[in-house]
Amino acid sequence: MKIINFCKLLILLVMFWVSAAFAQSSKVLIVNSDNTVFRYGTIATEFKKVLQQNAYQWSEFNLNSYANADAELKQLILQENPELIYCIGTKAYSLARNYAANKKLLFSAAINWRRLDIGEGTYGVANELSSAQEISLLRYFFPTIKKIGLLYSDKFSREYVETIKKDALAIGINIINQPINDAQEIGDALNELLPKIDMFWIISDPVVLSSKVSVQQIFQSAQQQKKPVYAYSDVFIEHGAVLAISADLATIGRQSASLALMMDKDKVPEGTVQSPAGSIVTLNKCALDALRLNFNQDALDSVNKIVECDK
Amino acid sequence: MIKYLYTLLVGVLVLDSSAFAAAASNDDLEKELAYLAAERQVVITASKMEEHVDKTIATTTVITQNDIQQIGVRNLMDLLKLVPGIGVTQTQFGIREIEVRGVKTLFSEKVQIMLNGHPLDHNLQNAGSTWVYDDLPVDTIKRVEVVRGPGSALYGANAFLAVINIITQNAKDLNGVQTSAGWGSFDTQQYRASWGKQFDNTAEAAVHFNFTDTNGINSPISADSSSIQGLKSNAPGKSQLTEGRYDLEWQLGYQDFKLDGRYINKRTGTFFGIASILSDARTQQDYNDYFLRLSRTWKIKDNFTVDTQIFHDFYSADNIWLIAPTQFFRTGFQDTRTGGEIQANYHLSDAQTLISGFSYTKEQQGNLIDQVGPDPTHLTSTLPTTEERIRKRWGVYIEDVWDPVKNVRMTVGARYDRYSDFGGTFNPRMGFNWEFIKNYSLKFSYGTAYRAPAFGELGLVNNPVLFGNPMLKPEEVKTFETGIIGHPVKGLSTQVTYYHSAINQIISPVSFQSTALHYDNNGSVVAEGVELESRYDFDGNLQGSYISANHVLQRSIQLGRQLADVPRQRTNLTANWAFDNTWSSFVHVLIKGSTLRPLGDTRSDVPGYALLDVGLLGKNMFGKKVDISFNVYNLFDKRYYDPAPASLNFIGDYQMAGRAFFGHVSLKF
Repeated sequence: MKIINFCKLLILLVMFWVSAAFAQSSKVLIVNSDNTVFRYGTIATEFKKVLQQNAYQWSEFNLNSYANADAELKQLILQENPELIYCIGTKAYSLARNYAANKKLLFSAAINWRRLDIGEGTYGVANELSSAQEISLLRYFFPTIKKIGLLYSDKFSREYVETIKKDALAIGINIINQPINDAQEIGDALNELLPKIDMFWIISDPVVLSSKVSVQQIFQSAQQQKKPVYAYSDVFIEHGAVLAISADLATIGRQSASLALMMDKDKVPEGTVQSPAGSIVTLNKCALDALRLNFNQDALDSVNKIVECDK
Repeated sequence: MIKYLYTLLVGVLVLDSSAFAAAASNDDLEKELAYLAAERQVVITASKMEEHVDKTIATTTVITQNDIQQIGVRNLMDLLKLVPGIGVTQTQFGIREIEVRGVKTLFSEKVQIMLNGHPLDHNLQNAGSTWVYDDLPVDTIKRVEVVRGPGSALYGANAFLAVINIITQNAKDLNGVQTSAGWGSFDTQQYRASWGKQFDNTAEAAVHFNFTDTNGINSPISADSSSIQGLKSNAPGKSQLTEGRYDLEWQLGYQDFKLDGRYINKRTGTFFGIASILSDARTQQDYNDYFLRLSRTWKIKDNFTVDTQIFHDFYSADNIWLIAPTQFFRTGFQDTRTGGEIQANYHLSDAQTLISGFSYTKEQQGNLIDQVGPDPTHLTSTLPTTEERIRKRWGVYIEDVWDPVKNVRMTVGARYDRYSDFGGTFNPRMGFNWEFIKNYSLKFSYGTAYRAPAFGELGLVNNPVLFGNPMLKPEEVKTFETGIIGHPVKGLSTQVTYYHSAINQIISPVSFQSTALHYDNNGSVVAEGVELESRYDFDGNLQGSYISANHVLQRSIQLGRQLADVPRQRTNLTANWAFDNTWSSFVHVLIKGSTLRPLGDTRSDVPGYALLDVGLLGKNMFGKKVDISFNVYNLFDKRYYDPAPASLNFIGDYQMAGRAFFGHVSLKF
């Protein structure tokens, strides 16, 4: 190699190293519990769209891509020194929180955020809709319903269920809840619970909803005892839920991004954790008719989607 | 108007409903269940490693790759010195001995060292793992877990005083090529190359290569038994602890199968020698060690998995020792261990896990070499000093880890091992961990462990002064410990632990047939102590900086007297200062108390000392591809000594290294 070419190469290398050393750190670090999970992935995509529109820099860390994610994340936070860390899912939040120090922390898609250890400077978008809003809508749709039953695991949903009970009591609905520790207890728990209630409520509890078998078990038991099922997500409509009020995932992503922009400008609104702003109300008219439920026809104004029986 | 709007809405929605129904298919349910499963993996109280360590009933110290880099350790023993309750000292053979909770022996056979969960006590003749693993390079280590206290209820033999599990980087950790090189005092060189990749078809591979070469610390030896008699001798002279070693580790995976192992070749001189005369460069120790393991995890149900493995371990020694001014002795043997293990893991609920397993192992010693002569290149065969031997053993174990309430963890377990040569041994373990106030946990545990007699202790023959004893029983220890772990403020972790161990049936040489010694189960030791440790991690602009301290007060009594060569107290003080995201510096002070001599040794006590090590580390430079570190050990060039045994009292003690330097560069691609 001629000396001049060698010098050029050397200059290029030096420029590369210098530019790498002085590269501006990302403002936002997105920590995703598992980017192959649809919910996490959708929220992340919408979040990034808003950041892009607002010319924000970000970097992304997917926990599922690293065997030693804990140490890698710690190192990345030290290295990147982001101003804000956006955590998608409980795993991301519980790890990032260890190393966030006094950085701004934002989370979403964490089941029952009330169980998380939330410090000052931490904000979030809840995974569940406001239980008060859900119960009000339920009362609106089904005025005669007095007793609603639900299964939950103490480990994942205790705080959420307590909130539901309190909100329900305020409008004269009695929540009959049955805790389980394992999916194998679902059968016995349903046999005990269903005769006592007017409607069964599926909440996003990872122990109750541990497999398709559990889902089938719930709907089969409910069908046998002619009890309507209300669910937190419209994926259960096809399985026989009469009504679902789902949080819109794309909106959660966009809402989180808006919150991040406000946090960056220190203009955060009241309330550390916001309920999802967008919801989709889905009615299964087929199941409704089959059960001959007393349904408030005026409430149809609030329905976004109606599913009829297949012909 | 409302009715009109309603009709319009319903019309639109009904038209749309068929399309919607198709979309909300099973796929959607699967996606939702996948999300819930991902959330289920995280139980807040057990998700953080610090809390996980807090929840165990055992006293555990975890050293991460980050710590290893910051403190500038060169090998495994450098690292263990920082762990509370553990000390490291020199032996006359060259290997170093590990003291745990006030008890140490020449071959460290009461400590079980494991590599990725596989036991490394392959030397069946003299037991212990330090023969080839005491100077294990640390560049490829991801994490080291040190569990102090008895572990036989889970791990079986020799998990007597502590279990040290070394976890190395896998394909996922490497994801490319990593290389490093280090140079330092005593002409020390270390090189490492690693490659790892995950393939689309679930296959993965990681390969590590390490090479180390050093001239040793060249410690001055003032005299030996020949020089004090005025005979020809290498003394006064220097220790000849030259060493060259290389090793190759592999981890290959495909679907649920994994094939892993490590091969090590180590050639070394010696510190003093095996006799009472100072060795020279003609004394050479040559070791080959490997293990090969094929394992598979079978997922029977979501909450029920079965781990299976078969393994083959190999260890060979071929050593030439200078035993008299013109006499050499060559000794060698080959040990193999072949076996399998099946372990069932049953998650009864999120609060309870049951583990049970069965293992079978065949151990064999053969290919004995025993030669003597005045010329190390032309030796003649002599009577063997040990026996060819086969041992078969099997073990069954069960452990239940149960959280009856959110803040209490109970662990109950037991293991029964049956040996073809000395019979059976049963070892239980139980304890609880109770978070009695938020961030404060009380732990208590009781357990027993055993150390199986080594082949050298059972079958030593044709030795003029020491004989084996085939009737030996295993050594036994009963330990209870209790402690409190607290996190008084954010970033601060503190722990205080009290332990009490009663060791019985100690295998040691005792008088036999008036003129000789033989191994026998004889005597007992009671060891107790308090371990205090705390660490504070700084926050905000100082993130990455920490200070930590540990202090141990220990007492080990045999025949009413404190054990020789073991300090009553030891302190480690460390501080790591992160200047920015790249540069950090490290300071470590080791303060060791003085140690007594054995009964009948008239030398004065070995004085205590304080050593200061400092280091500078630059990480993730030049596009996160380069790490550089420079360390100075024993900065003030303090002259200090490790105790020499009474049989070598004429040399005084072993003078350890003065000020030493080590620089290290690593590259990632």
